[in-house]
Amino acid sequence: MKRSFISSILIYLITLALGIFLAMILVTIVGENPLNVLKILVMGSFGGPREIAYSLFYATPFILTGLSVAWAFRAGLFNVGAEGQMLMGGVAVMALGILLPNLPVPLAIFSAFVVAFAAGGVWGAIAGWVKVKRGAHEVLVTILLNFVAYGLSSFFILNVFRNPASQNPETFEIGSNYFLSQITFFDPSSPLNQMIFVALLCAAIFAIVFRKTLFGFFQRMSGAAPELAVRSGVRIDRQVILALFISGGLAGLASCGTIMGYSHKAREGFANGAGFIGIAVALLGQNRAGGVVLSAILFGALAKGSLDLDLDTQFITRDLAQVIQACIVLVVASKPGLELVYKKVRATK
Amino acid sequence: MIEAHFISDLLLSSVRLSVPLIFAAYGGMMSERSGVANIALESYLLFSAFAAAAATSLFASLWMGVLFGLLAAGLIGLLFAVICVYGRGDQVVIGTAFNLLAVGSIPVLNKALFGITGSTPALSMQLRFTDPLIFFGLSILIVVFLEFLFRKTRHGLRLTACGENPLALETQGVSYKNLRVRAVIEGSLIAGVGGIYLSLCQGSAYVREMSAGRGFIALAALILGGWKPLPTFLACLFFAATDAIQIQLQGKAIGGFQIPNSLVQISPYLITLLLLMFSSRKVLAPRAINQHL
Repeated sequence: MKRSFISSILIYLITLALGIFLAMILVTIVGENPLNVLKILVMGSFGGPREIAYSLFYATPFILTGLSVAWAFRAGLFNVGAEGQMLMGGVAVMALGILLPNLPVPLAIFSAFVVAFAAGGVWGAIAGWVKVKRGAHEVLVTILLNFVAYGLSSFFILNVFRNPASQNPETFEIGSNYFLSQITFFDPSSPLNQMIFVALLCAAIFAIVFRKTLFGFFQRMSGAAPELAVRSGVRIDRQVILALFISGGLAGLASCGTIMGYSHKAREGFANGAGFIGIAVALLGQNRAGGVVLSAILFGALAKGSLDLDLDTQFITRDLAQVIQACIVLVVASKPGLELVYKKVRATK
Repeated sequence: MIEAHFISDLLLSSVRLSVPLIFAAYGGMMSERSGVANIALESYLLFSAFAAAAATSLFASLWMGVLFGLLAAGLIGLLFAVICVYGRGDQVVIGTAFNLLAVGSIPVLNKALFGITGSTPALSMQLRFTDPLIFFGLSILIVVFLEFLFRKTRHGLRLTACGENPLALETQGVSYKNLRVRAVIEGSLIAGVGGIYLSLCQGSAYVREMSAGRGFIALAALILGGWKPLPTFLACLFFAATDAIQIQLQGKAIGGFQIPNSLVQISPYLITLLLLMFSSRKVLAPRAINQHL
């Protein structure tokens, strides 16, 4: 137990270092100093209490989208649709908050979470249904559903709930009973809010489900050993749809931090790539709750730190964050091959 | 009101829109028939479109643009193939990372070359291909060529064997790894033509994320076409036609009611989804796709 914990931390660090190293090749190619870029990233994300608060604010949706993708991976499914599921969740929360602004406080927040989870979940379950009933691969279906979600969400934001008094393409404000309060511990003016506790709670539930419950076992079994699952009387069809429902639901919840805790309205494209970052978060976190939380904070810091690259370097832009994510995913995905090389090298010694 | 020029516009614009889909789908076909799942088509299109436009602008030569567009596509294909085949990981995950890599690294390269992140400098008419029909004609040649390749040539038959049963190929003394790397690179070069078309013919520069999901639609066309050249070609034409209709409908009122653009724009994706849902259940995917020996 202890040994496997240490080795998974080691793997985590090696993966991270390799991924960052690969991304720094691009930095070197365009003629910037990688050490300088790394320094900007670290100072911009953990350099002070204000920076830390922002990093954690960015990390909040990543925890949930990371858990979303990780849940699907645990059930043997690849959910590339967290972005669209998050958008649908956000649209549902926004609609609820505008249509029923006077719901009493605990009920308002609770029903917002339920609605966000349900909307994202249904969007995920559609992919599950199509996979199970029609045999289409979930990856392609979730990608196509992302595009549909972009269109639907901008329809609701720009054509249905748009605030005509605002100069920006954004909706009316949601009722104040839906607001999540700020966390002022690090910085009184940062957007960090209570949603991070909800995200951590979800991570804890995630861990308990997969460690302690029969349901979690069935979910894993239907992905890892479908034949065994069928012989044990587990209905795989149902497990797949349920897995993508929960996965989508977690992604749907990811929209709440920004809408209920910061902007109090929805803007076009508010998911801002968090769904895709969830893939990198889940892979780096080895699909475990603790790993996901750690990776989400890391990627939150990367998102915050990379904002400074636009101004503080000549050629590198905030897009470097995506390059680093991509490189980390590549290293994680290549693990079987890398292990083989490692074994061969050890054998020759 | 439907008028004659409306229909001819629609046809011409369908042909124009089909070109990148067709080349991307064939890029995917080479790779998937050999057993390498390819969701990275989007990154092929983006890298080759960017390299083509950037080189054309820097060297003031259209042919340098074509050369660099193909080089970039080939290089990305090589990288993708090596990581897929020797990394022994999940090819779909790797493909997703490649798409992310394209979206993240091209703005950085663009800024290093031209000082801005959004697009390459606009190209004059002399530095562009003005006739999309050249590309469409080329795509028809490729359909014929691929039908021939997969039916009659040793390479084509080996490719199919590699995607169905790589072990059988190995017992014949053919390395399935080398064959997959070769097939993926060949595919990336074909897809690269689609990228070149995007920035040097359909557009007049590289614009950020200009492929706009075409790589994914191409993949859907490949699946609906059952991984076969001619049916895939027809599927691409169909998707291009829905896209052309969608573009024509934007901003137009039907029976006094104007559908918002955001809803019109999703129609191609919805139709793709519906087709995937209601097409035959029998999956004809290469059996050893995304598997290692």
